[in-house]
Amino acid sequence: MAEAMVRLEEIHKRFGDLEVLKGVNLDVAKGEVVCILGPSGSGKSTLLRCVNLLEPPERGEIFLEGHDICKGPGSGTGEASWELDFVRQRVGMVFQQFNLFPHKTVLENVTLAPRQVLGKSRAEAESKAKALLERVGLGDKFGQYPERLSGGQQQRVAIARALAMEPHVMLFDEVTSALDPELVKEVLDTMRELAGEGMTMLVVTHEMGFAREVGDQVVFMDGGVIVEQGRPADVLDNPREERTKKFLGRVLER
Amino acid sequence: MSEFFHQYFDFHIMGAHFSEVLDGFLKNLLLFAVVVVLALAWGLLLALLRQLPGKKLIPIRGLTIAYIDVLRAIPLLIIILLISGGIPYLNFLPKDLRIPQWFGQPDPFWYGVLALTLVYGAYMAEVYRAGIEAVPRGQIEAARSLGMSHGQAMRHIVVPQAVTKIPAPMLNEVISLLKDATLVSVVAYGESVLVGREVLAETFNSSAVLLAGLMFLAITLPGARIVDKLIARNQGKITRGAHIEVA
Repeated sequence: MAEAMVRLEEIHKRFGDLEVLKGVNLDVAKGEVVCILGPSGSGKSTLLRCVNLLEPPERGEIFLEGHDICKGPGSGTGEASWELDFVRQRVGMVFQQFNLFPHKTVLENVTLAPRQVLGKSRAEAESKAKALLERVGLGDKFGQYPERLSGGQQQRVAIARALAMEPHVMLFDEVTSALDPELVKEVLDTMRELAGEGMTMLVVTHEMGFAREVGDQVVFMDGGVIVEQGRPADVLDNPREERTKKFLGRVLER
Repeated sequence: MSEFFHQYFDFHIMGAHFSEVLDGFLKNLLLFAVVVVLALAWGLLLALLRQLPGKKLIPIRGLTIAYIDVLRAIPLLIIILLISGGIPYLNFLPKDLRIPQWFGQPDPFWYGVLALTLVYGAYMAEVYRAGIEAVPRGQIEAARSLGMSHGQAMRHIVVPQAVTKIPAPMLNEVISLLKDATLVSVVAYGESVLVGREVLAETFNSSAVLLAGLMFLAITLPGARIVDKLIARNQGKITRGAHIEVA
């Protein structure tokens, strides 16, 4: 097998007395879409946030395109180490609460990081941003402020904003959970397209349909460990583990 | 009753000393104007130092917190006296610093500027801090996940949002600063209160002091109304914001 895009080895993370991740191993190949399911508190969001070092793990190794991003004395604090620049410029993230910058227009939201971090010219950043916004169906919203947009539109801006940094991996942290039901589809469609273009994606989600259809791999987490993983059809339709069955039973009977 | 009225509202004395008191009041305003600019900048710097990330910078955060706490805990009058009564005698300093006469202003003016800036910088740092802490954590996370440094996130994302959350409490500090600018009278800076006290000493009549008080009222009362308006507007914003999140 080719070198993994993202490889997690024995990831441990605790918040005070609470051990949130108890040794997680995961390989994500280039272009693969991995959907992470699990009950709340299972550690799935924390795992995602470990990958771009928003929550640096205490123990374990994270390899990004073969580079160990947790080594060195800087690990554990997650601040001011070269790995941080390396990681954040290769890994894009989209959040449950969108986290658009409310004091910036849609276009400024997308151009800010390319201009400040990558040092792109205004013209260059804007033409790229406009292309991305058009791609997510928001070609007519450049000058709007986020509060004027629906949740679904905001989330698509957030996706375009992350893509503007030309990431190699995208992290999606329950990106449809804060949306009204009728707005979920437009966001999932955008993600589906992105997956079709070969983006490597880690997706924490409760959208079973999306996991089944788009996921190459489904990971079920509970209690800070991976309980079961495999192809969507196997995990979702024929779960082996009792905990997976219970969880899927509760989710699907809704 | 007429004795009371005469003691405080002797229009003859007010009229005779009006231009002196007004002149003193304008000096208050000048001192205030200089300090307000410096203290707003110094307070922001302190607030940012206080928010520096990482373990290595704990000493800087600690020193900043100590500074902010101590300067707010000591009466301003004592700070003014420590500065005006100490700095002139620090002979290792060049004379221009010990007894500053910059821009044609006398040294008591500059001692006042220094004391008020040091103290109000600490107060304003706390107001900025409230604003910074009111910016949702997700904003910083989004900025950091896009590769921005802590400094870039503060400059482009956090501070611009923080300052829109604090105009009312900040204006309260500003009004308070305007009033406290009179404390510089103790170092013989010829501002309105000092003028009023000189008239009081001459005539045993309080009208000139009251006149100074009225001049402050003319500015601070509308200021207080503006604070109310800002608070109401801000609450309106919060309500509207909540509505948008639901919608």
